[in-house]
Amino acid sequence: MRLDDLLRVSFRQVLRQRRRNLGVALAIAIGTAGLIVVITMGQDVKENINKDLELLGKATRVKVYFDMSQEKYSISRPQWFRESTVGELRRLPGVTGVTLVAFRNGIELSNRHDHQFRLKLLVGADEYIWEVNSFTPVSGRFFGYKEVKGRKKVCVLGADVAKKIFGDEDAVGNSLKIDNNYYRVIGLLGGLGIGDYAEWAFIPYTTARDRVLGQWLPNCIYLRCHTWNDVKSVASAIPEVVTANQDGEGIEVKVYWDQLKKVRRIAWWIEFFIYISIAATLILGGFGIWNIMTAGVQSRTREIGLKKAIGAEDRDIMAQFLAEALCISLGASVFGIVAGRVAVEILANILGSRPLEELFLFCVGLGLLFSVILGVGAGLFPSIRASRMEVVSAVNFE
Amino acid sequence: MKTSHQDLVINISDLVKNYGNGATGISVLQDVNLEVHGGEIVAVTGPSGCGKSTLLFILGLFLFPSQGSYYFSGENVLALSRSEQAEFRRKRVGFVFQTSDLFENSTVYENLEFPLIYAGVKRRERKGRIVDALDLVNMGHRIRHPANLLSGGEKQRVAVARALVNRPQVILADEPTGQLDRDNTQFVMDYLEKSVKEAGTALIVVTHDPQVATRCKRICVLEDGVLKESYGNLANND
Repeated sequence: MRLDDLLRVSFRQVLRQRRRNLGVALAIAIGTAGLIVVITMGQDVKENINKDLELLGKATRVKVYFDMSQEKYSISRPQWFRESTVGELRRLPGVTGVTLVAFRNGIELSNRHDHQFRLKLLVGADEYIWEVNSFTPVSGRFFGYKEVKGRKKVCVLGADVAKKIFGDEDAVGNSLKIDNNYYRVIGLLGGLGIGDYAEWAFIPYTTARDRVLGQWLPNCIYLRCHTWNDVKSVASAIPEVVTANQDGEGIEVKVYWDQLKKVRRIAWWIEFFIYISIAATLILGGFGIWNIMTAGVQSRTREIGLKKAIGAEDRDIMAQFLAEALCISLGASVFGIVAGRVAVEILANILGSRPLEELFLFCVGLGLLFSVILGVGAGLFPSIRASRMEVVSAVNFE
Repeated sequence: MKTSHQDLVINISDLVKNYGNGATGISVLQDVNLEVHGGEIVAVTGPSGCGKSTLLFILGLFLFPSQGSYYFSGENVLALSRSEQAEFRRKRVGFVFQTSDLFENSTVYENLEFPLIYAGVKRRERKGRIVDALDLVNMGHRIRHPANLLSGGEKQRVAVARALVNRPQVILADEPTGQLDRDNTQFVMDYLEKSVKEAGTALIVVTHDPQVATRCKRICVLEDGVLKESYGNLANND
């Protein structure tokens, strides 16, 4: 039997028995749509959860700093990170962002009414600090490249600091004085999981270096890893990169292992749930096809006998039943893909997220692959049974 | 019979068919001998359960005898492999069953297309052969009609056309008019005779209907598995 005849005859048969096939096709279509939604949106939801967990735990953040207070170090000269070191760290596989910072505590601030306030920590930072720490402004905006390069007198305040200095007044747009220089407040940092940062103030480190009294050396770096799986390798590579570019004496690498462990455990459960759902979908779809094909072999016994009587070989019968199973699973899968796409679009709008197009295409491929496996897997046994049927018993079947 | 040895199509000798063994065994056919030549119309009659259908199934290689030989156009067809048996059925014999077994979900055209598909006939050749076969049984006007909407007589005529479409050497018909009224029986037999005459095909009809049997040139009577009598129906001799 030629392939085009096989496909034509099988497709026609499936179409003509659509009422019988409707239930199982619907189940597979829903299963495939579910598969696409679960994987596409599951990943998206997982990423959102990760971001939230990051805000709380900073699990994929690595802190690198010089600790010269330890007695084992013979010299006491100050250490700081060079631009070349930062550049090399940015190129490390698994690193998505690096920020260079310097700290000073005990700084006095005052507002335009000369109301004094002692700041917990003044941070001099580059423009990457927001991205590396997943910060978002609760009001106004953060300083960027231009302000850092231009040594602008701008300031981002932690929400608690702003409240203490300006009270109910809107801090953004207001000015405050640090070391006899007035800085314009351009944004506020706050929100869930911000912790101690709410009591800090941030200015460009170039401005701090020029205008704030004392030595401002960027002796701390924060790195953001792409995923928590990258943290270990990044952390272990850092000392080597630093010492290859500068004097690395006193270098310390701090990883938040406890938070990392908790985040990974939560993610594992999410992934487990996703894959259990996929497995359940596949098993149910497979049983559906197996059931309909087995019932089909039984109810079409005379047809099988007749086809053999007019010259069909065992392989023709087997090929036809297999092709019909494939037509059902593939056809249903295509409907499922369309339905899945619609569902993903709707859910993405509701959640305000944007799942990756590549992920959706991957799911389409996966859905089609699974449908082929389902069709062949579930249709194989009934097809073999049909092909081995003896002509006389099939023709005489009532 | 005015037939030559060269156009001998079916030659079975000392054919025995038993079901089961020992005391519980049943002997269905005993030492059956039969020769059928091209263009012959042979009726196999006998009471129910005498082994008529079993003989037909053996002739179509649906069943295999316990003993004996079966030569089809000089070839020992009992030695064919399973795949060769299928080829034998699609190219050398055509079947018409009692219950007008058409593929109910298909059209008349599609019913006739199946044997051609299995025989590997090219698509562009199929239509012509299907139209010819349907014209032979006067069913050309129903070519796109769904099979399940045909009357009983029409279904049996389509079944005859389907048996003929691959131009077989022999048509094996198992009670082809068993569920038809008198008029339709006449029509179907007319078409079968006409087809056999035009195509030079041999026809073996299993029937217990005297109306059908008497239209055949030869009538073979099976009683308790024994083909007791075989004689020519002179009334129908040309």
